[in-house]
Amino acid sequence: MSGERNLWSARLAADLRAALAIVTVLAAVPLFVSSPYWLGVLVVSIYFALLALGWNLLAGFAGQFSLAPAAFAMIGAYVTGLLDYHLKAPLWIGIPAAIAGTAALGWLLGRIVLRLKGPYLALTTLSFAEIARVVIGNSYVFTRGDQGLNVPTLMQSRVGYYYLFLGVLALVLVALHRLMRGRAGRFWLAIRDDDIGAESRGINVVRYKTLAFALSCAICGLAGSLYGTFSQLVSPELGLLLQTGLVISMVVIGGMGTLTGPVVGALLVYVSSEWLRAVGNIQLIVFSAAVIVFARFFRAGLWGLATRRR
Amino acid sequence: MLALDLFVNGLIFGLFYALMAVGLAMIFGVLKVVNFAHGELYMVGAYTYVLAATKLGIPVWLALPLAALAGAALGALIERTLMRPLYAGYGSWAIMKDEYAVVVTFGLSLLLVNLVDKIVGPYPFRGPALIETSRFAVGPVMLNGQKLVAAGISAAMMVALALFIKRSLWGRQIQAVAQNRLGASLAGIDATRATSLVFSISGLLAALAGALLAPLINPSPDVGAFPAIKSYVIVVLGGMGSIWGAMAAALLLGVLESFFAVYVSYDYRDAFGLLILILVLLFRPQGLMGEKGRDV
Repeated sequence: MSGERNLWSARLAADLRAALAIVTVLAAVPLFVSSPYWLGVLVVSIYFALLALGWNLLAGFAGQFSLAPAAFAMIGAYVTGLLDYHLKAPLWIGIPAAIAGTAALGWLLGRIVLRLKGPYLALTTLSFAEIARVVIGNSYVFTRGDQGLNVPTLMQSRVGYYYLFLGVLALVLVALHRLMRGRAGRFWLAIRDDDIGAESRGINVVRYKTLAFALSCAICGLAGSLYGTFSQLVSPELGLLLQTGLVISMVVIGGMGTLTGPVVGALLVYVSSEWLRAVGNIQLIVFSAAVIVFARFFRAGLWGLATRRR
Repeated sequence: MLALDLFVNGLIFGLFYALMAVGLAMIFGVLKVVNFAHGELYMVGAYTYVLAATKLGIPVWLALPLAALAGAALGALIERTLMRPLYAGYGSWAIMKDEYAVVVTFGLSLLLVNLVDKIVGPYPFRGPALIETSRFAVGPVMLNGQKLVAAGISAAMMVALALFIKRSLWGRQIQAVAQNRLGASLAGIDATRATSLVFSISGLLAALAGALLAPLINPSPDVGAFPAIKSYVIVVLGGMGSIWGAMAAALLLGVLESFFAVYVSYDYRDAFGLLILILVLLFRPQGLMGEKGRDV
């Protein structure tokens, strides 16, 4: 019992160290790279890393395979955008409101889909995501529809934004580590592996499933809200199913159910997709093929391959 | 009289939806997974038809079965390369089975869309019609030749499929595998062949739907997304895995949507179906027809 306990905490601690090492390396990047274009690329890949971590909390740790991460990023961005557009609310209200709003909505979605599993859960969350996108895209009066909304920016400096995103990434990683090391994390793993077994041992499955939904959606909402202020424009395109597909491929390629995997996957997929775009717009072909190969043959992902016990 | 027009046109769209959704329902029946690349079989059918007819100069009535065969071949290929681990002696795959199926078919859908986008180009193509007529009126109902012929072929295919499943040996084997894979294997049924057959039929029907609609929709690489989402709604509405439920639900959704688009809101007609999907899964997960409707 105690041996297993130590094994899990030790693995998690090593996982966090590796992820923070990547963050440290990234923190040194602006010393060498001054091109605003590549810094922008890195900011977007950190945005995807946050989405990947959020989705991984729900799908990789708690076993709830949702198809709505991009929709929650879109909703988070719109909460901030709409508060500014209609009420002229400053960003220090708009961004926390996005976190709170997506957490509440995620909690509600979690309550609704509580009893659904596997394909049923995937179809329901997919429908939720598409409905959210169609409603936002068609409410011309309230959201300006497909034209999108302009959002004020937090700061002009691109390096500043880079460090802001990096800081948030580090915070999310540490918070996830603390959660996964404690009671909630162990309960999530138990629910993922056998939810009936978990319930029979007295775990409050309802509470922990909805908690996973709320936290995961809040991370996605925060990422979307920050991204909106960075690009100064939010549009329904943030919630396209393709974006969810990208997030899933990043996690599958990097390694599901780990902290480092989603970060590695997001950086690798997004940065090299910029490069492949230059080669001939083949980035989506390469990554969709990669995700099939990884899911079929290397189910632990890159991070799992790297840390395989010898 | 608008109502009659809407009803007939809704029914026709329902027939096209049925062609798409029945294959998805059969796959769910035998493997209990959703094929998220189903819309891309439709896209491949539409492209095969249009390119064969326009670039290779194959007569349209030959291009149509060719497109259906391309879909069947692709379906069989998907089953052989990606779906087999779900059932053929990979013990540890039972865990995370649903997740694997979602990831791999989702990835396949992205791959096919982008391959076609890269190879053929992102621009929509216009397919040649099977028969060239302008719109004509039958009583109060406005129709055109292509739509009528396509609806006729769809209806014929549905009848043929029903007979195949009910009467033929292979059809009965598929029913047996859907009810109990292990039991069917013990009775000497080749469950692997039955599964492969289901994927081929599913691909054939979806590709045929794409080819029949190609002259009406001008296919582009992402054309499969909407019919795929409709089929998810239909499969849920009909009770996941039920062929007859899917056929009935397809007609129902076609008619409901056609009225919803005119009387309630055209912009939200696609959200309407998805709302139905969520509500059915929450309050009547066995589908409208219930357990009895679940033959396959």
